[in-house]
Amino acid sequence: MLALDLLIQGLVQGAIYALVAVGLTLVYGLLRILHVAHAALFTLGGYLGVLVTNATGSFALALAVAMGVAGVAGIAVYRLAYRPLLGRSPLIALIASIGLFIASEEAFRIIFGAHGLSYVTPPLQAQIEIAPGISLSLARIAVVVLAVVLLSALGWLSLSTRTGVAWRASVSDPPIAQAFGIDIERVRHLNFFVGSALAGAAGVMVALLNNLVEPTMGAVPSYKALAIIVLGGLGNVRGTLVAALALGVVESFGTIYAGHLLDRDAIAFAFLILVLMLRPQGLLARS
Amino acid sequence: MHRRAHRALLAATLATMAAAASADSIKIGFNVPLTGFAAADGTSALKGAELAVEQVNARGGVGGKPLELVVYDDQASPKEAAPLAVKMITQDEVVAGISGSYSGSTRAAATIFQENATPYISAYAIHPDITRAGEYVFRTSFMGEVQGRAGAKLIGETLGKKRVVMITLNNDFGQSLAAGFKEKAAAFGIEVIGEYDYGIKDREFGPIVSKVKADAPDAIYASGYFFTAGPLVSQLRAAGITAPVIGQEGYDGQKFIEIAGPAAEGVLITTSLDRDSTDPVARDFMAGFEKKAGYPADMVGASAHTAVLVMASALQSAGHTDKAALRQAIAATQVDAATGHISFNALGEVKKDVQVQVVRDGAWHRHSVISDAALLAPPEK
Repeated sequence: MLALDLLIQGLVQGAIYALVAVGLTLVYGLLRILHVAHAALFTLGGYLGVLVTNATGSFALALAVAMGVAGVAGIAVYRLAYRPLLGRSPLIALIASIGLFIASEEAFRIIFGAHGLSYVTPPLQAQIEIAPGISLSLARIAVVVLAVVLLSALGWLSLSTRTGVAWRASVSDPPIAQAFGIDIERVRHLNFFVGSALAGAAGVMVALLNNLVEPTMGAVPSYKALAIIVLGGLGNVRGTLVAALALGVVESFGTIYAGHLLDRDAIAFAFLILVLMLRPQGLLARS
Repeated sequence: MHRRAHRALLAATLATMAAAASADSIKIGFNVPLTGFAAADGTSALKGAELAVEQVNARGGVGGKPLELVVYDDQASPKEAAPLAVKMITQDEVVAGISGSYSGSTRAAATIFQENATPYISAYAIHPDITRAGEYVFRTSFMGEVQGRAGAKLIGETLGKKRVVMITLNNDFGQSLAAGFKEKAAAFGIEVIGEYDYGIKDREFGPIVSKVKADAPDAIYASGYFFTAGPLVSQLRAAGITAPVIGQEGYDGQKFIEIAGPAAEGVLITTSLDRDSTDPVARDFMAGFEKKAGYPADMVGASAHTAVLVMASALQSAGHTDKAALRQAIAATQVDAATGHISFNALGEVKKDVQVQVVRDGAWHRHSVISDAALLAPPEK
C-alpha cells in the first residue's frame, strides 16, 4: 500500500516536472538554446495564481490569467533576450538566460517581498479516497488532470493541425521549412507562448500544493528541468514526458529509501548519470 | 573655473561633515542576507537590529554617542561574508560586529573578527563551530543541540509521547537539532521509529507524508524553516495525520501560520521569543517591531534585537570602545532582552530558558517554558 502511495506521489511530482520541462525542450528543439529563464515564467505563473485568486476568489480565472500572462512574457523573453543573440554561440544566449533568471528572482522579491505569498483560502483542499487507505487532495488530482489535458492538447495541436505540422517542420529542418513558406518567426512566437503558458500552469499548481510562492521558487525547476530534457533526449517531447514521470517516481522512492545518503537533487542527478551511462542519447531519442 | 572651485569646496565640506558624523557615532558592523534565498529572515533581522539601535539612540545612545549600524548584504554566503568582514574591520573601522545571517556566512566572518581581535555576536546562526572561532565570538541564540534536547524533553516528558518520527532538514540547522534530540531521546523514553531527511529547497513532501502515515507515530519532530515547515505541516494534515508536530525556532513567525493555515493549529515549537511575555523589554520589542515591519515579531527579529542590546549594554559598561575591554564586558553580560535574560558561558554561548510556543487561533502563544539548566547547558569549549 505504501508502494502504491509513493508511486502516486511520484506521478504527481512527475506531472509538474512534465509541464515545466516540455516548454524547455520545445525551445531547445527549435533554437538550441538552454532556456534557464523558463523557470522565471514558472514563478510568474505561481505569483499570478495566488494574486488573482486572492483578489477575485476564482481559481479558474487565476489559472487562465497565469497561463496567458506567462505565455506573453515568454514571447517577450524571446524577442528581447534571445532574438538579438540568435546568430551567436548558444552559450551567449545561455548566459543571458541565467542573468535574466537571477534578475527575475530579485525582481519578485523587490515587488512582492522576501517572505513570499500564500492563498488566503487555498482552493481544492478536500480529500478524496481513491483507494482503500490512500487519499489524495483535490489539488493533487487536479495537477495530474491538468497535466494530462494540457499535454494532450499540445499533442493534438502538433500532430493534427496545419500549425502543428509547420511547427514540427521548423524543428526538424528550419531552412527547408522556411523554403516551403513557413513563417518561422510565427512558429517561434507560438513555441514560446505555449511552452511558457505550460510553465505558468505548473507554477499555479505548485503554489496550490505548497500554499506558498517565493521569489526563489524557480530555482529547482531551473536546473531540474534541464536534467529532464537531457534524460529524455534533448528536444524530444515524448522522451521529456517519460523522463519527467520517471524522475518523479525515482525521487519519491529515493526520498524514503535513500534519503539519508542522498537528497532529492542528488537522487535525480544520480539517476540522470546512470541513464546516460546506459543510453547516452537519452531515454527515447534515437541514437 | 569659479564654478569648479565652488563645487570642490562643497564636496570637501560634505566630506568633512560626513567624517565628523561618523567620528561621533559608534559603528557596529552588521552582515545580513538581504537578497537571495535567505532574504526573508535577513529582512526581519535587519528590522529587529534597526529597532534596537533606534531605541538605544532615543535614550541618548551609549556614553552620549549614537550607535550606527554598518549594514552589508552577505546573501547568506561565506564567500560574500568573509571579504565583508574584512571591509567592516579595516575600512569602516567598526568597534564590533553582529551577524544577522545564517551559519555558513557567520562562521566565515567569525574567523576574521577573531583574527582581528574584534568582538562578534551571532544573533541566530546555530552552528557549533561559530563560537569556537575564539574568545571574541559570542552567540545570543541557542545552539541546535541545546534546542534539540529541549525538544526531546517537550515530547517525551511534557507531552508524554513515546513513538516519534523525525523529519530532518539536511543542513547544519536540522542536523544539529536532530543530534541534540537523539542524544536525549532515550532519557525521556522516546523511541525514534523513523527518520527522513529532506533538502532546504524541498516544498513538496508527498513521499515522506505517505511514509509517516504508514508509520503512525505518536508525535512528529520536524526541523525546518517557515518556508519548508509551512508546506510540510499542511501536507501532513491534508493526508489525515493528526499526531502533534513539534518544530523549533525556524518555524517562528506569522508566515508559518499563513502558509499552513488551519493545519498550523496546535503545532508546538521550541524558540526564544515568548508572545505572552509580560516582560516590558519583550512587550516593547514586539509592539515596536510590528509597527516598524508591518508584520508581527518573529524569532529572527527578536534575536537580532537582542544581539544589538547586548552589544549596547557591553559598550556602556566597558565605558569606551577598546576592543579587548569590550570583549570583557560582553563576556560579563547580564541583560534582560526580548529573548529573555542573557548571560554567556566560557565559550561565549548563551545561557537562557527555552520558550515553548503553540499556535492557537492563528497566533503564537505560550505553551510552557523549559528551564532545566543542566539539560540546556551549552558546551563550555
